[in-house]
Amino acid sequence: MAVKTIKTPAVIIGGGVAGLAAAIDLSRRGLSSLVVERGPRLGGRVADFCCKATDSCVRCGACRLADLVRRVAARPEIAIYTSAKPVAAEADGDGWRLTLEPQRNNGPAPVVELAGGPLPRRSQVQAGAVILAVGATPFDPSAKSRFGYRRVPGVVSALELEGALEHSLAELAGGRDPRRVAFIQCVGSRDESLGHLYCSRVCCGFALRMARVIQARRPGTEITFFHMDVQTYGRAWAGELAEMREQMNFVRAMPGEVTAGPGGPQVVYAAGGRSQTAEFDLVVLSQGMRPPVGAAALSQLFACTRTSDGFLGSDAEPVASGAAGVFIAGSARGPMSIVESIEHGAVAAAAAAGHLQPLVREAAHA
Amino acid sequence: MLLNDCDPGFKHQVAAEPGGQGIKACFACAACTARCPVAGHVEGYDPRRLIRLVLLGRREEVLASPLIWLCSTCYSCQEVCPQQVSFTEVLTAIKNIAARAGYGPPATEAVIDQLAAHGRLLEVGEFENQRRTDLGLPEVAEAPAHFQKVLGVEPAGGKS
Repeated sequence: MAVKTIKTPAVIIGGGVAGLAAAIDLSRRGLSSLVVERGPRLGGRVADFCCKATDSCVRCGACRLADLVRRVAARPEIAIYTSAKPVAAEADGDGWRLTLEPQRNNGPAPVVELAGGPLPRRSQVQAGAVILAVGATPFDPSAKSRFGYRRVPGVVSALELEGALEHSLAELAGGRDPRRVAFIQCVGSRDESLGHLYCSRVCCGFALRMARVIQARRPGTEITFFHMDVQTYGRAWAGELAEMREQMNFVRAMPGEVTAGPGGPQVVYAAGGRSQTAEFDLVVLSQGMRPPVGAAALSQLFACTRTSDGFLGSDAEPVASGAAGVFIAGSARGPMSIVESIEHGAVAAAAAAGHLQPLVREAAHA
Repeated sequence: MLLNDCDPGFKHQVAAEPGGQGIKACFACAACTARCPVAGHVEGYDPRRLIRLVLLGRREEVLASPLIWLCSTCYSCQEVCPQQVSFTEVLTAIKNIAARAGYGPPATEAVIDQLAAHGRLLEVGEFENQRRTDLGLPEVAEAPAHFQKVLGVEPAGGKS
């Protein structure tokens, strides 16, 4: 059977916010692209996030995905294949030749149906530029076993809380009405013992916004925020943080351990130079971001470099990959927020367009 | 206390001492204090605070503190530290510096004097040797020279 070859100026690996933003930016520049998404639906991790507004918008960026998907759908020059993954890649002149393989997905059905759909068969792609927008991988909190994840009932990850935020928190707390909720920050970030020295940048804001949503829904819920220091990026936080410090209990200490108590998980932490134990209904572990699981395979496939933290790309430049014609977009390059990922996607698209410009001109002259 | 009264070189001295290497990596997260069994029982014993004092250069306050001698060397702090500070080892480094600077705890100083003078923790005199002879045991002679060498102390009063 002859293998079909798709020709496109740019192929984007990853259909999350960064990849979609890159596709839109390329299309604005008159360049069509092919988005290749491994999963059955577009949106990546952001598709699981809900709006964090309480009285007013807090600019979390979760709603931006719907906007991006709408714009992608309105642009016929953006082609999409879901359930597809590159299995081979070779530099071909100034561009790249990729082999895509269909992926079996047993996950949830696509939330947003789009033109394109799943990749039907093994295919070849001839592209002038490649943008890797595969996202980051959340840290698995069970690797820090002392925090009791999957061991102590009532201890959950921040992403699990996000998933339940729209529904019922009682299920997470083992049937108890969660009136005392603790957040433990930097689980898997800023941790030399794991080799993750970097700050994951979004977890403080993510946790505090979720805490605020909980307090807005259930006034009187006691929130305790265990942290090393609060790393909320952006000017808007100055006033908000001051307000939150009055509504929540900020404890500047990393707990020593979390154990199962009679009334819920118990957190052992230092306060006033002494070891203390406090009981909660729900303990939320703010897991950090890790380099994408496929980082090693992708860097081998596309001969691209890794940052000193193990993400794709280089420390020195924002979107360069060390390989000609390959660019990195979004949190595959390092921890970033939804809004930052969208901006980073546009930067990667601009760099890819710069790489494609001479090729486009040559084609016009030929 | 003014910043001028602090010794900015103190942290480097501790870091240069065997075991002290990790101290500058401390984030002050207090996981060590949370897990420390001594901190749970002794008022004022707080590993995070001790590290901070060293980093701030409050040399005399650290070296003269009776708290630095209370560590039970259970290594719980080391186990939970995200920054691999190895506080147990850091404290050993601090204790070595303190001992050299003459801040050893009085009880330990007394033991050192005893060892330097007699080569053992109990003085052996005629009375003890008489008792040993009565019981059919060989006599024991004090041999403190080796201890004086190890402890770096001069023989006291020419007696050896």
